[in-house]
Amino acid sequence: MFDFLQLVRNENMKIYRRIGTWIMLGIILLLVIVSSSLTRWLSEKETMWTVMNGIDQLMYYLITIFTVVISAESVAGEFSSGTIKLLLIRPWSRSKILLSKYISLLLFALVQTLLMFVSSFVLNLILFGYNDSATANEALGVLNSAHPFFYMIQAYVLDYIGLIMIVTFSFMLSTIFRSGGLAIGLSMFIYFFGLIASGILMSLKYKWVEYLLFLHLNLKQYLQSSEIAHHMTLGFSLAVLAGYYIIFIGVTWLIFNKRDVAT
Amino acid sequence: MHSSFDSIEQPIVRLQQVTKTIGRRTIIDGLTLDLPRAEVFGFLGPNGSGKTTTIRMMVGLMSLTKGDVLIEGHSIRTDYEQAIRHVGAIVENPEMYKYLTGFQNLLHFSRMVPGITRQRIDEVVELVGLKSRINDKVKTYSLGMRQRLGVAQAIMHKPTLLILDEPTNGLDPAGIRELRDYLRKLAKEEGITVFVSSHLLSEMELMCDRVAIIQAGKLIDVRSIRSDKPLGEESSQVLFEVDQPDKAVLLLAEHGAEREEDAALVRADRETIAQINASLVAAGIKVYGIRVLNKSLEDQFLEMTGGEQVV
Ligand SMILES: Nc1ncnc2c1ncn2[C@@H]1O[C@H](COP(=O)(O)OP(=O)(O)OP(=O)(O)O)[C@@H](O)[C@H]1O
Ligand SMILES: [Mg+2]
Repeated sequence: MFDFLQLVRNENMKIYRRIGTWIMLGIILLLVIVSSSLTRWLSEKETMWTVMNGIDQLMYYLITIFTVVISAESVAGEFSSGTIKLLLIRPWSRSKILLSKYISLLLFALVQTLLMFVSSFVLNLILFGYNDSATANEALGVLNSAHPFFYMIQAYVLDYIGLIMIVTFSFMLSTIFRSGGLAIGLSMFIYFFGLIASGILMSLKYKWVEYLLFLHLNLKQYLQSSEIAHHMTLGFSLAVLAGYYIIFIGVTWLIFNKRDVAT
Repeated sequence: MHSSFDSIEQPIVRLQQVTKTIGRRTIIDGLTLDLPRAEVFGFLGPNGSGKTTTIRMMVGLMSLTKGDVLIEGHSIRTDYEQAIRHVGAIVENPEMYKYLTGFQNLLHFSRMVPGITRQRIDEVVELVGLKSRINDKVKTYSLGMRQRLGVAQAIMHKPTLLILDEPTNGLDPAGIRELRDYLRKLAKEEGITVFVSSHLLSEMELMCDRVAIIQAGKLIDVRSIRSDKPLGEESSQVLFEVDQPDKAVLLLAEHGAEREEDAALVRADRETIAQINASLVAAGIKVYGIRVLNKSLEDQFLEMTGGEQVV
């Protein structure tokens, strides 16, 4: 087990020793600071909760993009640089090497999520002062009676579940195509196309649309109502996501384990 | 760990009927080969003959269509982690993480095998002569420096089998010489088996104890280079230094003799050499010396593979 953690350490080193990673984290921090400060100066009626919620709504897409970029490079980068050969000829099964990569990506998604949560909470608390609304309904006007702080935590947890799905998806494409560019492009296209199309798809009366991946990536809608169109519930959405998850993971591991390395 | 008693004479690697088919093409065809312990073993073949493919299969990067590779008795197919534990390798170019420093690269690979200390890393860095540049990013390295770093990661965990695919590629003459001496030392002093492929035939001659020759995916010969055994049945070029070369050439016309300054050059096998010598002496020609001109490996290699086109 200790030895396996060394593999994760290696993968972390390969993520955080790159300048690009720090630029991404810097951009997240910078955008939180800039948007919070601007709102403070330009608007009178906002509170720490409304700004924090706004930042989450908008910057979640940015985090998604960054996460996709890093995970798409994870396997493909080893192939395009040729380092995959030196990485695999060690006393570790391919499955474990792949797992260490996957874990490092989930951690990277977590780091970004936490950075955004902590920085926007602390900064807005300082800029706007503590707002003592008792419920999210009072603070944000949403249909939810949890304390605003717990409401935000729930929102971020659901965000993170969405991130796990997109990481897993682009990780799979990265493994299949061994090309970071293609994996990024395809993941982004499918993700954003799905987001845009989901409204239209949702209005279709067919049963099969309920099983489309995109309709279930925006889990935050369940914070406002326990049932959305087609009578879908959070439980149903999570079950559909779990189905996709198993397929993505299965395909990724199968291909990575079986494929000849001939770069 | 094996005790040195039961393992010393056992081949460290056994390739058994190794076959690779991609699509309909058979790239490697029933390769069977044992590598003895503590030797530098050359793997020679023209471009596209399947050296790299064989090496990829030996280290588990490619699956075997048929056959098996046993390393220290462990199958690369069914017991990969045990088999690969004993191996250090460079496959084709030594590609490293360019955005990391040389040291970080070594640290990375050292974490994948238990028991490699910081000291050991420093030791191999010193050994491959990269000490002054080890904290620079690999993207600033020259090809030769990357090759050295490649050697460092391959020997870091003290493998008993070192597999190097064209390791002299990109090294300067001094670097080649150093590597050659080092590989010989590893084999002689530490009992490591070095399996090395190369295009530089003359290199192989200087470096290897034995050479396997592969052509179009088939093993065509394995021969010893550093043997002091007498030549066998095979005929070779023999130089007879004599006092009357013209007369000798005339006398040896039936052997196709040629004049060569103060000598006659003949093609002869072991027995014939003795006969020729006797007949020269009988004819009153003084023989000052008899020299067998060993064919260089290069000649032998070209002879065998017919200097053919890439297949
Ligand atoms: N992934 C692949 N798919 C199809 N054919 C391949 C593949 N890899 C190698 N080959 C073919 O296998 C043969 C052997 O290639 P290999 O790279 O093993 O040769 P080599 O002996 O290492 O050559 P060189 O001396 O040029 O390095 C070649 O004919 C090559 O075209
Ligand atoms: Mg090759």
